[in-house]
Amino acid sequence: MASLEEREGDVAGAVRRLARTAAFAEAMAEAGSGETVRLDTKSTSLSARPRLQGVVFRVWTGKRWAEASTSHLAGPELSAAVEHLEGEVAHGGGTAPPPGLSTTTKGSWATHPKRPLHDLGSDGTIALAKEARDWAKAVPDIVEVQVRLSWEEEERLYLNSAGARCHERTLRTHAAVVPIAMENGNPAFDYWSHGGVGGLETVPPLDEPAMRQAAENSRALLHAKAPPSGEMEVLLDDTVAGLFAHESFGHGTEADQFVRDRSYLKPLLGSTVGPEFLSIADDGTVPGGWGSIYCDDEGHPGQKTMLVDHGRFVGALHDRETASLLGAKATGSTRRSDFLSRAFVRMTNTYVEPGDRSVEELIADVQDGVLLEHGTSGIEDPLGGQMQLKVRKGHRIEHGRLTDLVGGMALSGKVLDFLRSTRGVAKGKVGAIDPGFCGKGHGDYLHVGTGGVHLLSRAIVGLA
Amino acid sequence: MSGATGSDVAFRVAEQLRAPAPWEVIGERTRKFELHLQGTEIELERGPIAIEGYGIRLFRPRGNVLGTGFQASSDLSAEGISTATSVAETIARHAEFPAKSVDLPGGQARPSDVAIVDRSLWADPTRVVREYVDALLAAFHGRSNAVPSFGSVKATLSEYSLANSSGLKVQFPSTHVELEVAVKAFGGPEGAPPGEYWVTEGSRRLEPKKLPGDVEAWCRYAADVRRAVAPPTGEQAVVLPSEVLAGILPSVLGGRFTGAARLRHIAPEVGSVVGGELATVRDEGDYAWGSGSAPFDDEGAPRGRHPLIEKGTVAGLLYDSLYASALSERSTASAVRSAAGPSGEFRFAHPPGPGVTTLVVAPSNGGSDQELYETAGDGILVTQLGWAYPDPISGTFGGEIRIGYRIRGGKVAEPVRGGTVGGTVLAPKGAPSLLANLEAVGSTATLSGHVATPMVVVRPLSVAGA
Repeated sequence: MASLEEREGDVAGAVRRLARTAAFAEAMAEAGSGETVRLDTKSTSLSARPRLQGVVFRVWTGKRWAEASTSHLAGPELSAAVEHLEGEVAHGGGTAPPPGLSTTTKGSWATHPKRPLHDLGSDGTIALAKEARDWAKAVPDIVEVQVRLSWEEEERLYLNSAGARCHERTLRTHAAVVPIAMENGNPAFDYWSHGGVGGLETVPPLDEPAMRQAAENSRALLHAKAPPSGEMEVLLDDTVAGLFAHESFGHGTEADQFVRDRSYLKPLLGSTVGPEFLSIADDGTVPGGWGSIYCDDEGHPGQKTMLVDHGRFVGALHDRETASLLGAKATGSTRRSDFLSRAFVRMTNTYVEPGDRSVEELIADVQDGVLLEHGTSGIEDPLGGQMQLKVRKGHRIEHGRLTDLVGGMALSGKVLDFLRSTRGVAKGKVGAIDPGFCGKGHGDYLHVGTGGVHLLSRAIVGLA
Repeated sequence: MSGATGSDVAFRVAEQLRAPAPWEVIGERTRKFELHLQGTEIELERGPIAIEGYGIRLFRPRGNVLGTGFQASSDLSAEGISTATSVAETIARHAEFPAKSVDLPGGQARPSDVAIVDRSLWADPTRVVREYVDALLAAFHGRSNAVPSFGSVKATLSEYSLANSSGLKVQFPSTHVELEVAVKAFGGPEGAPPGEYWVTEGSRRLEPKKLPGDVEAWCRYAADVRRAVAPPTGEQAVVLPSEVLAGILPSVLGGRFTGAARLRHIAPEVGSVVGGELATVRDEGDYAWGSGSAPFDDEGAPRGRHPLIEKGTVAGLLYDSLYASALSERSTASAVRSAAGPSGEFRFAHPPGPGVTTLVVAPSNGGSDQELYETAGDGILVTQLGWAYPDPISGTFGGEIRIGYRIRGGKVAEPVRGGTVGGTVLAPKGAPSLLANLEAVGSTATLSGHVATPMVVVRPLSVAGA
């Protein structure tokens, strides 16, 4: 299989050919490599990333965008994709110029890991996973431990008819350990998951204390009490605060939702929406951040964009088209899941910036509430302004003290009400950027990071 | 079948494969066609999106264990096939699975005859997708208080082939369509903010004739969002339609009712009680138009029907050939290839594992929807959950109510929105769960993606709200 750079001439030739009839043409070619080790008490499996490569072309027809993709970087299949798009341009029925500015970025970027996982080789990676498994399995009541160690290098080449050429190799490393505890036929688990752009330096050590603690966390959930139900004070830990940032001001500020008139936030741009001590950012340049990018899929470099600055809603995420329509600048937020997927306005790493209270002070401020810990997922509601966040566990807070461990919960609420009720944000540093995948709708999943600091507010919580 | 065939990719790769038995190849050729809407205008036309690839799986016995190696590739050259084979061999040397051998399906079995190809879509995908979008937009014409704010229709036409060292050579086509529409309701004298009902549906075929009725219901839900309030907190009767159950059951039953779960001690024992008398669930890989249905499983064995839960008691688990071998069972033709993440939708990119296909909840004597509301008496009808996020290990689920209704005195009353509903799908005998607390199961099943089920009444489930 020829490399992307070896096939660059074919792809660039196709872009030049498309530009003869289209006002603008671009291509994103993609390839990748990687390995995943999965191990539990019964089996060891390895998987190599599929040896896939392909390219997507996008042209402006004079009226709208048209795209075609193929898993062949040369030959008749590539020509067929180009010919199809030439037909779309010929029958496009419009003469309007393409929306927004075409990038002319030129550059080449690559991740340089300090401790590449692939340097361990398959045997070394399996040995590391076995050690982690055995430490966790040694804890009583743990019946199974699943360990997953992986690295993947994604290569992307972006070319357009304005002269942009962005070539990037992004290496991500991820480690996850899931100890499963069992009692009377009832399984319970917590999990340990870390990763980032880079090598093993983005993952905390998989050492005995960490693995035993992960197993003890699962075991403790065997005896967790039922969570409380109803509206109450909620203290989000850093992982849940990151999900809050992503679901509330991340999706709500993707400006394609503004263009669709589908964001409750659109009329609030420039206004104060929360307390002065609350700031939220999306930053594609966080060193090692799971969602960090070098260049987006329109050739804009990654950047930091303030979404909420000291309580004021100040910014949105833009691609070239939304920037053009709304009088803004593109924010390095145009992303495709892969060469088979369309480009959308997407997030990178989204987080709550530190405030000025200690976590202890925030807990002491709660008379009757719950600490939500270990966020797992969320879902947005761009038009209605609702949000749903789910967590693996939590602790009751009673009279300013943490009390009982409680099981998984869902939080539901209106974002603006939640902001109005926000009483404090913890100080300190934004901790680890948690690795995750985000869909747009129910598809188009890609790497995003979330993070933050503890945040105190009020919402509905219930069993989940 | 209007020219619909399976791909011969696997056969071409198998002819060039230089590897000792046992081995298996899956091939795939997929084309996608998409139309994306912004309002009532076509924003983006995508297609053809074409991918052709294969996956090679090798099995290498080593004493009491089996090394399995898998590599997928889109490089169909002789060199590409050789490289993929070499990588699979290397992986097999490192891998360990607790079986001494594997019994791959041969080529003699007769496949089930299952409808999974939309023939008109296959014949002319571009035209049929455009006509469907036209019909979708026509269903909104004349409505002064509801519009689509965005949407997309995505059609996937796939051709699969499977070959193995036991002489298997099978091929089959399938179609899959995804519909996404955000319906916005607005206007009116009340000055309420706009409301949205977000539709995401997956199925095997496009059915434009259903659109007028569907759009009518979607617009009603979007309008009701505008006046909905959070439900009351407490344990109460909850009515769940097939669309909601389809977001809950596959993850949990797929995670717990398989050989993979049994090997790892998290499957329920066959014969144990996990639900009430009304809980009967089968896996039917040949259910017409089911999103998980196909004539063959992803190892090439003819799909069939397998009881999972019979009147609340665990009746069976699902196996592919590998887990069947490890546990001295027979394969139930339940090999499934899928994964989340990039390229997850393509079967050839993943090795198989045992999983659910199309789940069928047996209808009972609960009657019509109205009769089920009467059974509930007072409670909540959940029309759409934000996302249930079921946990395949613990079996818990829960999410925000995006739109639902109070049921008062056996009748559907005012809309509710916000708050959460959740619980556990299955639990040991005596413990509360969705399956244990089934109070009534309707008389007619509706297919929603991977699940065909009647509406059910669960009493109680936990609701958190105002």
